[in-house]
Amino acid sequence: MSKNGTGITLDPVTFEVLKNSFITTVDQMAEQILRTCYSFVIYNRDFSSALNDANGDSIAQGNMDIAVHVGTLHYTCKAVIDTFKDDMRPGDVFMTNDPYAGGTHFNDVRIIRPVFVGDEIIAFAQSNGHWSDVGGSTPGSFDVLAKEMFREGIRITPTRLIDAGKWRHDFAEMIAANTRDPESIIGDMNAQAEATRVAEREILRLVEKYGKDTVVTGCKEVQDYVELATRQRISELPDGTWENVDYIDRDPALGEGMIPIKVKLTIKGDEVTYDFTGSHDTISTLYNSAFGGTFSAVVAGMKTYFPDLPLNSGFYRPINVIAPENSIVDAKWPVAVTGFLMPFEKIMNSIYEIWSDIMPERAIACAFNLEYLLTGGRDLRTKDRNIFMFYDWLPGGWGGRNGKDGCNVTTACFGTGLMTQPVEGQERLCPIIANEYQINTDSPGPGRWRGGAGVVKTSTLQDAESTVISYICDRERAIVWGIKGGLPSMPHGLYIQRKGKNEREWLGSIFSDVPIESGDIFSRPTAGGGGLGDPLERDPALVMRDVEDDYVSIERARKDYGVVLKVIDLDLASYEVDVEATRTERAAIAKARRSWLEEDGAAVAERYRNGELDEFDMVRRYGVIVDWGTGEYFPKTTAEFRTMMKKRSAAHWNDAIAELDQAAE
Amino acid sequence: MTKLRVAVDIGGTFTDICILDEDSGALRVAKTASTPEDPLIGAMRGLDEAEVSLRDVTLFSHGTTVATNALVTRRLPPAAMICTEGYRDVIEIRRSNKEDLWDTYNDVAQPYIRRRDRLTVRERIDHGGRVATPLDESDAREKARILRKRGVQAVAVCFMNSFINPQHEARMKEILQEELPGVEITTSSETLPEIFEHERFSTTVVNAILSPVVGGYVKRMNDALQQGGYASDLLMLHSGGGVMTPATAGQFAGRLAGSGIAAGAIASRHIAMLCGYENSIGLDMGGTSCDVSLVFGGESRVTKDWHIEFGYPIRFPSIEVLTIGAGGGSLAWIDDAGSLHNGPQSAGADPGPACYGRGNTTPTNTDANLALGRLGTSLAGGQIELDKAASEEAVRTAVAEPLGMDPVTAAKAIVSVANANMADAVRLISISRGYDPRDFALVAFGGAGALHGVALAKELSIPTVIVPPNPGVTSALGCLLVDVRHDLSQTYLALAAEADPADIEARFGEMEAEAHRRLVKEGVAEADMVLQRSIDMMYQGQWRSLQVPVASPFTSVPEAVAAFHADHDREYAFRRDDTPVELFRLSVTAIGTVPKAELMSHAANGAKAVAESSRMVDFDEVEGALETPIYSHEGLPAGVTIEGPAIVEQLDSTTVIPPGVRAEVDEWLNIRIHVAEA
Repeated sequence: MSKNGTGITLDPVTFEVLKNSFITTVDQMAEQILRTCYSFVIYNRDFSSALNDANGDSIAQGNMDIAVHVGTLHYTCKAVIDTFKDDMRPGDVFMTNDPYAGGTHFNDVRIIRPVFVGDEIIAFAQSNGHWSDVGGSTPGSFDVLAKEMFREGIRITPTRLIDAGKWRHDFAEMIAANTRDPESIIGDMNAQAEATRVAEREILRLVEKYGKDTVVTGCKEVQDYVELATRQRISELPDGTWENVDYIDRDPALGEGMIPIKVKLTIKGDEVTYDFTGSHDTISTLYNSAFGGTFSAVVAGMKTYFPDLPLNSGFYRPINVIAPENSIVDAKWPVAVTGFLMPFEKIMNSIYEIWSDIMPERAIACAFNLEYLLTGGRDLRTKDRNIFMFYDWLPGGWGGRNGKDGCNVTTACFGTGLMTQPVEGQERLCPIIANEYQINTDSPGPGRWRGGAGVVKTSTLQDAESTVISYICDRERAIVWGIKGGLPSMPHGLYIQRKGKNEREWLGSIFSDVPIESGDIFSRPTAGGGGLGDPLERDPALVMRDVEDDYVSIERARKDYGVVLKVIDLDLASYEVDVEATRTERAAIAKARRSWLEEDGAAVAERYRNGELDEFDMVRRYGVIVDWGTGEYFPKTTAEFRTMMKKRSAAHWNDAIAELDQAAE
Repeated sequence: MTKLRVAVDIGGTFTDICILDEDSGALRVAKTASTPEDPLIGAMRGLDEAEVSLRDVTLFSHGTTVATNALVTRRLPPAAMICTEGYRDVIEIRRSNKEDLWDTYNDVAQPYIRRRDRLTVRERIDHGGRVATPLDESDAREKARILRKRGVQAVAVCFMNSFINPQHEARMKEILQEELPGVEITTSSETLPEIFEHERFSTTVVNAILSPVVGGYVKRMNDALQQGGYASDLLMLHSGGGVMTPATAGQFAGRLAGSGIAAGAIASRHIAMLCGYENSIGLDMGGTSCDVSLVFGGESRVTKDWHIEFGYPIRFPSIEVLTIGAGGGSLAWIDDAGSLHNGPQSAGADPGPACYGRGNTTPTNTDANLALGRLGTSLAGGQIELDKAASEEAVRTAVAEPLGMDPVTAAKAIVSVANANMADAVRLISISRGYDPRDFALVAFGGAGALHGVALAKELSIPTVIVPPNPGVTSALGCLLVDVRHDLSQTYLALAAEADPADIEARFGEMEAEAHRRLVKEGVAEADMVLQRSIDMMYQGQWRSLQVPVASPFTSVPEAVAAFHADHDREYAFRRDDTPVELFRLSVTAIGTVPKAELMSHAANGAKAVAESSRMVDFDEVEGALETPIYSHEGLPAGVTIEGPAIVEQLDSTTVIPPGVRAEVDEWLNIRIHVAEA
């Protein structure tokens, strides 16, 4: 790995102009994709665009790219170069979605066009979009039961899509024919291939104006420049080693107990190493990550702490990643990896917590977990009983920050450019009506700076038949955590209430192909973010404001924050802090809370089953994890969760609050 | 008696006043300091200073940032939302995305109405417009009682699927009107009957909360004008590039957000058209930012994808203006890795550029231009003296020395980076939309536009640059050149192959009836009414629609589809003739034409341009400073030709004509610079 680049040889103006032009070029690709795509997932901004140099390294990525693709586009470009080497001609366009060659998952299909000047390739333009379906056993190509890729979808190793300007229709049709929506797939191929042509046009314009050599030098030097800036920032930080662990909820094949992902970060001089040694082996669900996904998580997590640096391969050069082969962070063919987003988010949040120590001014607690609901069946509202597909994802809360509460209702950290969908659009397309879609009171993880609020969406299946529902989520057990004394938020998972029944049933956070009938109601809360700092130190005026707005209930204001409020006038949402009662309540909680984390878990679980405790009490006070439907106690998971909670929360609690009561008297 | 048309453009720093003599076409301009605490004071004072008698005024037109400022500062009246049960948080959930993807400390702004003030009632309309849950009237009255107790001044009624069946919203409005007399009630189905709840609700909320702000302001201004003797209607410029009268401004208050930005785009369009250019790009460069707009075939580009603050769309059609942080006061700086940047941070008006001598020592574009001699040391007719030595010092210490350059190269580098940033903005609005800059003229205005216009045109291969006679107050002129305009639209979902032209014609008929009603209310005569129809379409499976004008009466769907294919090909460089096309939206634009006064034209008298002085100026085209003649724009008669190098100065602007470039002054006293001949 080269140290400190060779410096910039271009004059400052040409350099700045080329740097900005590269970014504008990528933005133009993005603009075009947004306006012409077919996949609604792409339309909602799950796509990215890049310019790569002749070696495949990234020159520029888009300003609005989805985080999860960051740090993978150079791998796929290199995979195309390795495959075709000297066998590329002007007018060629290539395609790949191979997660085992640096990609993410099969839905993310990359279309890559070499940019020729004469017979020399000087760059590649790349457009990556999440296709709504790539075949496999379930609509949307997320099969929870997949252990191997053969159920997941079609694997496109690097292949030629356009041959010297001539579309390979036979091949395109073959790919499309392996999906559930061939017409749209052809449309997206078109849109992506055209977007890369926009970039080609712009690069050739630069060549015409500045000359080939200058542009090629610019491609290299913008990377050197970012590398230099990144190394400078890193070298200003103290050397050191930080360790962290976060968990995937379970491997159903292994019984109860969470799946650790360990990360050790070392800063030495101007380089950073992320070592995943000690992470669990691959598991029997699709929640595995190939190396590309893992590298992307590292880059995205770290980039959060250097938001102003442009993204290109220069940023990656000072980063080393050590991922043990065949572990959950380096799955090999043919292990299922479509759910790599789950390890991705665990890595990202782990990295957030480590960097929160390195840069306390940018600290942030854990964010809610991405959730993805897939329902499909026959729509009886249409005369041909058409197949409908309802794919939905919800926003949630982000972690509390240093001096600021977490963001309410924001897209998952795997890509904050991703948009959620309008209910009115969904109701037209699918026989499902949403009875509520609103902020979930009490979802924010308590803290001096509370987490952001999550939502709850409750829907009723209407005129449909042959309908099944699948759910891709996590953190039903490895609950979204607080830091620096902040508390966890609440479990993720889905409830279903069968037609005519009064009781709702807990289906949890991961299941596949559960049949549902017209009149069944399903409800998904998303977690809030974890809290930051001791909630007993939160300004009671802020707690009162949260109660005015129903972000927090008056009951949980007392239980989680020890803040006792008097109702003045509910019509005016007017309250008053009872200062005396608050001091007493806070002292009482401070005295008792460490012992709650030591109480016998089985006995606590019993109280949950009796209805004495709810899930907020369970995770925020006792740190006890159960099956949220049956109340079955999970001793191993609880032990792991309590260890985390003691380190992240209890270790930072202010015990002096227990004495304040006496002091006042 | 003189007949005057007066336009007032109130910006953050200055209030510009444009006065046009209807008979002679003579234009004069005045500038006065804005009074942000009450913009009306500055406007009326400016009129006094300009010695305008309101009795002589036949048309008074106004662009304002009052609405925009109220939103951004959140100085808003107490307001509330009434939503469908289970949906009080639509405007907070938004589409849940962030504008800044990486900085976890850079948040989306808070919603305009707090959660506490978003109440719900039991009711639900389904996707087909059927009543799924009837409106619970006792619940509705209970919520009205609460709002009365809270003393709100505006209520936005936002129910699910109301775009297809507005009955519940309408009933809710009646109940609120009974229970809350005097309070502005706005429903989403009246404001924007279009699918997608967040976009509709957000637009409705903006409209509702601005209603008391704008309504009060318009009324006070109208009263003040009437008292002064103005006998006609006050015309308010809206973001769509037309005007409204006080009769409708309160009802569509949201349209006044962005009023200020539209004015410049309209003026630049008018000037280019006058010069015979149907395609033009407007470059309005001021002290802190630069607004870029585009006109093709005589029409401004209009967008519905628009907001004042990210996350809160205002789906009224607005003239598309791309704003970037490049102005005279933009700061040049070098980052950790030694790369030179320009903006978006700005020295603003205070402390301003280094040459103002008010404590800023970081060079700005103004400093670089001054150091190069492109800008003179005396601005605004001698009112402001600039310290050239301070500019040179700033350029030398902050840029030249760290980068190892000589000071002149460094100053040129600063200007070049600013030009490159503006060129990128122009590319985004032109090339990436399928327009070729070579087919356009560039209208350069604002205080700093003419300093940079030619360099930008060269960068983009734009053949002609037009500098209007009063570049610094061109935006105000835009307010004088507009028609009354209302935009109506409704969602219409159908496959083109199955669409019934008779049904579409009927829908257009209904919308035109409403449009007609509004124009009548504005006092527009029948003969002055123009109604334009368009349909938004997309390829089946696509997610964004493209608007295509259609004929009246509407008889042929295939004709509209053919136009769609052609437009799609131009915008996105591909078409799919064999793919089914879907209809998405019907729109009607209602225009009440306002007779335009003609700007005074001047005959060429064969005079030659006479330079007033000369100074040494550095240009990009040659090494070493050139002895350059300095002209005064006011002193240049129609028909003269100027060969570069030359500088043209005037009260509010400076025009750079580099060596090898020829310019001429046309009959309206625009400077037309022919870049391509060079």
